[in-house]
Amino acid sequence: MKFRRIYILWGLTGIFLLGLALYPPLVGLQPYWILVGMTALFYAILASSWSLLAGYTGQFSFAHMAFMGLGTYAAGILIRDVGLKPWQATIGGILITGLVGLVIGYLCLRMRAVYLALFTIAFAEIFRLVVKAEVKFTGGPNGLEIPPYTIPDALQAVFRFFIPYWDANPYVPAYYFMAVLFFVSLLFMFMLVRSRFGIFFRAVREDEEAAAALGVHVVNTRVLAFVVSSMIAGFAGIVFHHFIGLIVPDQMQIGRMSLIIAMAVIGGSQNLIGAALGAIFIHFSLEWLQSIPLPVAVLQQLLFLEDIGFSVDLNAGVLRTNAWRMVGFGLLLMLTLRFWQNGLISPVLDWLARREAAETVAQRFQAERDMDAIDDVQAITNPAEAGNPSSSSEPAS
Amino acid sequence: MWPIPDILLDINFFQITSSYIFRLILEGLLIGIIYSLMALGLTLIFSVLNIVSFAHGEFYMIGGYVVYVLLTRFKGMPGLVGIVVAALVTFLIGAVFERLFLQPMAKGKVDRPSEYAILVTFGLSFFLQFVLLGIMGPFPKKAPRFWSFPPIDLGVIRTTKATLFLGNIPLSGGRIFAAIIALLALGAMLWFMFRTWTGWALQAVSQDRNAAAVVGINPLTMNTLAFALGAMLAGLAGAVLVTVFSWVPWVGVPASAKSFVIIVLGGMGSIPGSLVGGLILGVVESLGTGLFPDPARAQAYRDVFGLIIFALVLWLKPTGLFGREL
Repeated sequence: MKFRRIYILWGLTGIFLLGLALYPPLVGLQPYWILVGMTALFYAILASSWSLLAGYTGQFSFAHMAFMGLGTYAAGILIRDVGLKPWQATIGGILITGLVGLVIGYLCLRMRAVYLALFTIAFAEIFRLVVKAEVKFTGGPNGLEIPPYTIPDALQAVFRFFIPYWDANPYVPAYYFMAVLFFVSLLFMFMLVRSRFGIFFRAVREDEEAAAALGVHVVNTRVLAFVVSSMIAGFAGIVFHHFIGLIVPDQMQIGRMSLIIAMAVIGGSQNLIGAALGAIFIHFSLEWLQSIPLPVAVLQQLLFLEDIGFSVDLNAGVLRTNAWRMVGFGLLLMLTLRFWQNGLISPVLDWLARREAAETVAQRFQAERDMDAIDDVQAITNPAEAGNPSSSSEPAS
Repeated sequence: MWPIPDILLDINFFQITSSYIFRLILEGLLIGIIYSLMALGLTLIFSVLNIVSFAHGEFYMIGGYVVYVLLTRFKGMPGLVGIVVAALVTFLIGAVFERLFLQPMAKGKVDRPSEYAILVTFGLSFFLQFVLLGIMGPFPKKAPRFWSFPPIDLGVIRTTKATLFLGNIPLSGGRIFAAIIALLALGAMLWFMFRTWTGWALQAVSQDRNAAAVVGINPLTMNTLAFALGAMLAGLAGAVLVTVFSWVPWVGVPASAKSFVIIVLGGMGSIPGSLVGGLILGVVESLGTGLFPDPARAQAYRDVFGLIIFALVLWLKPTGLFGREL
């Protein structure tokens, strides 16, 4: 049997899924690391749903975190004031997110892509400020309590049977719920982009007029993508915060949103799985970069860094990077955009899946320009030699 | 029946007098001039490069921090020097960024240029915010006041050191000072745009790149100049406001949101639009905040009025007041 690269991809997928399933015992059931893994999965859902909108329809929403918060606050308030059960409030929160997304989508998506970006960045910041100010309604800066889900005893017993360490600490069930949500939402988005809607998304992105001429309703298609991606963000937020127990408005600040975008772009925003892997990778990197263990001799040389916001902890033997770890990822985001527009992870996946590299717009234009230049030069210098491109390969531009 | 919301019962109608309204409008115009200055920078960038800079608020933030650092490091330095240095620094950062990241786009080396422009300027804002967070720390800073009014008493107009009284209306001196500097900068900028060769070249490129290139204007140079000037205007706005507001690394986010509201309200790429839009936004915000029933929450709702204007413009007239095309 001939060896094919896709076997490597299958093997890696298997290892990844196994790692996903066995993560809690792999980190020795430490609550802290289970929480880190769970947060990584939460960000992975957000990044991949953001890339559903950005990578497939070319529209940029900077309010993804705001929609996440909107859904969570809606669910929390539905539980507190209306008296719904948590699972009912989850559905209610998702619907409210979708409704707000629908209104904003129809407002902005009739115009060029930049209008959605402009409006959502203003919406996100102002929504956060209002939530912070409405102390009576939302709890203000102290946050809103989100009561946990109640899992029926029969179901608990089933889980306990299959997962022996289910009761080790309360983070284990939370982690598994998040992992299942991650898997299901990724599967859903994958099916969506493989369906005819996915083709609509890309058609509208590549050429609006051509898609409209072929009968695709451009605005509705974009609104669909925007609403679906916002609802997934809301869903992820609600489930995540049911386990965390509290949401604070600072969860929605623009810095977090930038981080989601960095995750999606560095992973590869044209590829849902690339974006998700980027999120997991960056979240763990940030966790590690928070305090870098270094020998004390080296740390003593680095004391000057304290002037610019690092902190050197000689007792623990670590260098705490504080804000500077984010600076690194901001720089990486810009460089990725400039030099590797398909991201850093998704090209590897594409290569393993033996997909042909897509013809890009710039390459197409360059090829056209080259051909034109060749034709021009040949027509002028040597009409007889026309048709032999080797004589002048250098474009005149 | 539905109960009357508390919020309506809270309005104290007796408090609303004509002089109170007048004061709110004056305050709105003062801050509106600075909004106009910022939005003019964004308009310049949009009309020449045809992109919206999402890092505009970060240039505003850097302009403020430069003045703050200079004033606290070198005591007794004239504040105007600080403002000029802030303008230079933001101009340089803008020029370098444009050369490194936006020029490849203008040369056609980047796929999907419009999407790239949104993301890369947003990436710059992310980067600058955290650089300044690393250097300056998260705690609010406030620059010392570096000027004071000469004592004047003309009956109607009286001054104390930091306040100007117009009749019995007190106006914060910091804002007046900022508005005066902003007016000077606006005037200089408009003079530059409409009365110098370079300004004409910028306008030519914004109208037709190819035609401008034919008559010997280098569009790439003009791109760099426009982006750097736009960044500088935002930096100036920050530099004059750092004595008025307290400064944190993410202070630019609401400021840039305001500029976005103004350019959409005035029409993307329209210079009169950004000037008028800034004043309108300033007055609407000031009136809305001043007449808001609950003073404790009024400041938080200051930005909401901008968002409402934004939504109304998008709904009713997406081209804006002076916009040419969609």
